[in-house]
Amino acid sequence: MLRYLTQKLITLALLLFLVSITVFSVLFVLPGDPAQIILGVNATPESLATLRADLGLDKSFMGQYGDWVAHLLTGQSQPSIHYKMPVSELILSRLTVTGPMALLAMLFAVAISLPFGIYAARNQNRPGDVTVMFFTQLGLATPEFWFGILLILLFSVQLGWFSAGGFPGWRVDFWGSLRALLLPAFALGVIRASILTRLTRSSMLEVLGEDYVRTARAKGLTERTVVYVHALRNALIPVLTIMGLQLGQLLAGAIIIENVYFLPGLGRLVFSAIGQRDLPVVRDIVLFMAAAVMLVNFVVDLAYAFVDPRIKLK
Amino acid sequence: MKKALLLGLMIVLMATAAWAAGEMPKKGGNLTICVADEPPGLDPTASASAAIDRVVYANIFEGLTKIDRTGKYVPGLALKWDISTDGKVVTFQLRKGVTFHNGEPFNAAVAKWNIERGAAEGTKNAHPEFFRIIEKIETPDDTTLKLTLKNPDSLFIVHMAEGDAVMLPMKGYENTAAHPIGTGPFKFVAWNRGDRVEMARNEKYWNPQLPYLDKVTYRFIGDASAMASALKAGDVDIIGWLQAPELAADFVKDKRFKVLSGSSVAENIMSTNNKVAPFDNKLVRQAMAHAIDRKAVIDLVMAGYGTPIGSHWPPVTPYYENLTGKFPYDPQKAKELLAKAGYPNGFEATIKLPAIYAYSKRAGEVIADMLGQVGIKLKIELVEWGVWLDRVFKQKDFQLSMIGHAEAWDIGIYANPNYYFQYDSKEFRDAYANALKATTTEEQSKWFKRCQEIVAEDAVNGYLFVIPSLSVMKADLQNWWKDYPTIVLDCTEVWWKK
Repeated sequence: MLRYLTQKLITLALLLFLVSITVFSVLFVLPGDPAQIILGVNATPESLATLRADLGLDKSFMGQYGDWVAHLLTGQSQPSIHYKMPVSELILSRLTVTGPMALLAMLFAVAISLPFGIYAARNQNRPGDVTVMFFTQLGLATPEFWFGILLILLFSVQLGWFSAGGFPGWRVDFWGSLRALLLPAFALGVIRASILTRLTRSSMLEVLGEDYVRTARAKGLTERTVVYVHALRNALIPVLTIMGLQLGQLLAGAIIIENVYFLPGLGRLVFSAIGQRDLPVVRDIVLFMAAAVMLVNFVVDLAYAFVDPRIKLK
Repeated sequence: MKKALLLGLMIVLMATAAWAAGEMPKKGGNLTICVADEPPGLDPTASASAAIDRVVYANIFEGLTKIDRTGKYVPGLALKWDISTDGKVVTFQLRKGVTFHNGEPFNAAVAKWNIERGAAEGTKNAHPEFFRIIEKIETPDDTTLKLTLKNPDSLFIVHMAEGDAVMLPMKGYENTAAHPIGTGPFKFVAWNRGDRVEMARNEKYWNPQLPYLDKVTYRFIGDASAMASALKAGDVDIIGWLQAPELAADFVKDKRFKVLSGSSVAENIMSTNNKVAPFDNKLVRQAMAHAIDRKAVIDLVMAGYGTPIGSHWPPVTPYYENLTGKFPYDPQKAKELLAKAGYPNGFEATIKLPAIYAYSKRAGEVIADMLGQVGIKLKIELVEWGVWLDRVFKQKDFQLSMIGHAEAWDIGIYANPNYYFQYDSKEFRDAYANALKATTTEEQSKWFKRCQEIVAEDAVNGYLFVIPSLSVMKADLQNWWKDYPTIVLDCTEVWWKK
């Protein structure tokens, strides 16, 4: 176990280093001058030069990369050009929106996909199965932003049950904040549920055909025990893998949904930061997201062992 | 001085009219405004970004002069000003008893410090040239600021009304970008990054009648349809600038809302690289001018909102001359001119459109079609904003582009041959210099009009329309600015009828 952890950590560090080099190089050659974007088109060359020096943009490639890494290693991130505050604080504050939203979305996805997936598997090729598969097909084909807009039109504009977007802040209004995340999380969750439902169904079908399930049935266990205790646990492994990927993806920014619901989350932060060439923000977020995805995958690896004790982590 | 008097009179008249109609402004109420762009910091003296001015200018910060809702420049923190006959000495009489939100007094010494700060070596101000024209600053007493200019500058008073020239407090200025402190009718409360800026009534505002509102919140919603949903759901009270005019029709029909459509100072132009062939040929540019049907462009791109222009000057700015008739829509004439220029079969060119602005994107597509009909085949290339600034604006690597020029009084960019459209005309430079030197209104009017005529005649760029100042609000909101003659969303005199 310890060897496994060290191995994982070394891989993580190595990957982060590669990501940092890639991000930095891409942003370095990306056309667009942050100083020009801040000062506007009619700024004098002198003001531009002053601001560039102030932001450290006049330094060489290695000089700027060194600055960044030095900041990261000492644990304090560079300040955002746009927001004038350390990027780490920005990321943390945005995570309080994106994190809960991603979890909530996964919750919706699991709550929808597991029962429907199992149901469909047990009723293979019967009308129930066909109906469920039809809706998952629909869900796969629906762009989530469009579904998000539909939800706004129905629940906010027509019925007035939810606000059309925005986020009051956890400390200001806890229940209001939770409410604000419900619609976007539902939009994200339903779309992801489509994939998970199909996956649960096919995985379940496969497991239900295994010898040990027949044995379980043969020894007279109830159908309930067979499905939920013996089959489900084994069927969950591929589902877990995809769930992990989905959660990482959600953390890495539900950029479009956050724009539709104008939520101050991580996705919108990175979206606007790219437009404004707020380079410290973009760099740190990409690095953070890479780390987050790796971490989620790591947790999923651990979860395999938990679900199936035969899997040993080496 | 005359202007100040006139304005005073106008205010009295307007107030009387309002009172007669039984519509006295009421105090109280909160206002939530939604705007598309979140400002990059809240310090207008450290950036020319329009997003900053739209939030803080005239609400939190004030300058010596300001531009009113009709486009005239009027007193701000200066009660009045006198300009010597040679145009070189400007004497401001400052308001008495003005304090900053942190309690610091505003006086001539503070004004002097602000101007010196803007002109200083290594200043972060986007426009140090506004201040560097000043040779000498004298403060004979607390309320008199006497400035001696190096040479007369008829735009000096206008520049003092820009966001770059607002007054900051001498002690509390350091953290302006994150916590602005000004003299305006509203005090900064909080900036929830990515979401909103909140401000509250300044109880000690120098005009005790104003402002009417208790609280003003700016919310940043980038997507136009998300904006519209937010207004319909009641999350916001007003869309300060509706960027998708096609959504306006929906609100016009709805009794709960009203739509104000005026004029802004942003000229949407098909910017043309005057140095590259074939656009270095005046005949080609004039041919393009004839090939464009402005009315149709406005209908197709802006759902009919927007005012056509014939030169680089918005109708809401003083000294405007209507030159829209100079090159009427006439495809036949366009073809003749092209033939005369040596392109009887037209030519191919590329238009680079900044993807962030829906209006430029759409206008580009419409124009490509119109030019195609006279034989000019345009290839459309969408570019991201940062790339546009770098490739088109800085490196001048383009043939045609499409962009709104948002700043007021910016015709001076044509006097700079290195500006991205690379227009080089001694005639224009002389006329512009004369306009700046002019000390009387008549002279200024004559030369600024001449400037408009020269760029129109040379068809430097394709002059299309002024972007409408479309605002959509709840029906009870009163006194919002219809036109936006400067880059500002001024809430000072806005009130709720409830």
